Amino acid sequence: MVPHEWMVKPMRQTEWIDGRGLLVWLAEVFSALGTGLYLVSLFVDSWWGALVGWILIVLFKLPFHLFYLGKPLRFWRAIPPFTKAWRTSWMARGMFFTLMFALFAAIQLVTTYLLRHDVLATSAVDTINVLDWAVKILGGLFAVLTGMYAGFAMSYCKSIPFWNTGLLPIVFVIMGVADGMALVMGVGLIGNGIDINALEAASRVALIINALLIMTYLVNASYQSTTAGLSVRELIVGRVAAAFWIGIVLLGITIPLAISIVSLFAGEASRPLLVIAIVCHTVGAFALKYCVLKVGICRPLLPKLYAH
Amino acid sequence: MRWGMVINLAKCTRCHACVAACRVEHFLPLHVTWPRLIAYEVDSGAKVDVSTYPVRCNQCKDAPCVKVCPTEASHQRADGIVAIDSNKCIGCRYCVVACPYQNRTFVSKAKNPGYFPGFPETKFEKKGKKIYPHQVGTTEKCNFCAERIDAGTERGLTPGVDRDATPACVNTCQARALTFGDLDDPDSEVSRLIRERDGFQLRTEYGTDPSVYYIDYKLGGALSNKAPECDQTGSHMQELSSVDADAQKKLVGSKKS
Repeated sequence: MVPHEWMVKPMRQTEWIDGRGLLVWLAEVFSALGTGLYLVSLFVDSWWGALVGWILIVLFKLPFHLFYLGKPLRFWRAIPPFTKAWRTSWMARGMFFTLMFALFAAIQLVTTYLLRHDVLATSAVDTINVLDWAVKILGGLFAVLTGMYAGFAMSYCKSIPFWNTGLLPIVFVIMGVADGMALVMGVGLIGNGIDINALEAASRVALIINALLIMTYLVNASYQSTTAGLSVRELIVGRVAAAFWIGIVLLGITIPLAISIVSLFAGEASRPLLVIAIVCHTVGAFALKYCVLKVGICRPLLPKLYAH
Repeated sequence: MRWGMVINLAKCTRCHACVAACRVEHFLPLHVTWPRLIAYEVDSGAKVDVSTYPVRCNQCKDAPCVKVCPTEASHQRADGIVAIDSNKCIGCRYCVVACPYQNRTFVSKAKNPGYFPGFPETKFEKKGKKIYPHQVGTTEKCNFCAERIDAGTERGLTPGVDRDATPACVNTCQARALTFGDLDDPDSEVSRLIRERDGFQLRTEYGTDPSVYYIDYKLGGALSNKAPECDQTGSHMQELSSVDADAQKKLVGSKKS
């Protein structure tokens, strides 16, 4: 018999990133981009931004998740009331959150459109106004939950110490909001009515918070356990290092932050620079989820070989 | 009642008969294996210790796979066995990722190409597909031969005692390294072995309370609870095993000295 490595040494999870697992990665990226964009759009009152956010969730995130399933036609089994698994399963909860977001955000888009275009009878305006506020609150709430649940689903996995931390859902949401700010600026560049300077100022703060959060996450993981430390090593000097340094650090944080700082002193960033910042930031969003999924390493089965 | 298994690591001869028995019993697809053997090598410099740990689904009392399943396809039976309803499984693979013991397999087309790709199915294969459809796109794992247990207990037989009610791997083990029985019964053979031989579970820190216990060999070769070398069938087999050339030299060297 030849000694082999299956579960003797730390093993990388492959189901959610390799082969067909790339669909999970894409779904998670669009989840962050869509919910972030929708949330920021609500705050800056951008109807078009909210619409694009909704489209990213309904036409990208959901189908990618669906195509990943081994039995896609059975997806309804994961939705209440066909299952009671939402009591313990983040996947079932996530399905519910996403569908609720799709529903409330769709209603909100319609009500806001009607109110803005002055097509309602005077008697109906007050009612629709109340409804608009209600669905905005519900849509925003379910957007946060939709952006967050993947982090909880992953942090539940005790065997993957790099994921098994409460910081992960927070990293996902904060990064999603920062991505949303970048995308809303993109919407603002095409249309009108968005204060790009104000968004840039907010984006600057979000990027600094993100950089600190990611740094804290990695430092914490590096001494959390041997296996988590191995994940960090894979990220920084291992096979995923290029995606980490170029995708997250350079494109996702450094370049957008540098452009943002330039605009702080110059008064206003030029249009081409803003486009570069938005594109870089979006590439960073793809890189972040890729890296986190790719370095999810399972603890080996035999504890004495590698401390957990 | 909670069915459990005790694996005597000193008796295990690494013959893979349990793996083969399971394959035949459940008509497993070509690239799917429910029980596995982990070959674990410790090289202390003077001696190379190759140990094998037979592993299978631990049928955890507090099973993460059951908790994460979004459709309740993974569920726990009253007798403690963690079962999968293949007709409910949507193939999200959350259980595969969440299982701390990595004992679940997603059945893809690549893993189930048929035993003779390009040729008509044999009668054996056809029969197997009727009994165990092994749906592509769903997740599978060891089920402690729940169908044998159910059929046997219906006939008044006792799992772990009567062969017809006992998992196939336990029946097949030539070295009698596997013992099956009721963990909740303090008088059962499994309870006695765990109590008297200081049985241990893998990765207790997860709090999953596995129903598979190991005896007679401590992880990492700790002195306590390790069977004397002369009693270790596995230890004897190490010299016959195909460890790499360097290890062979070391084994020979340590014998001479």
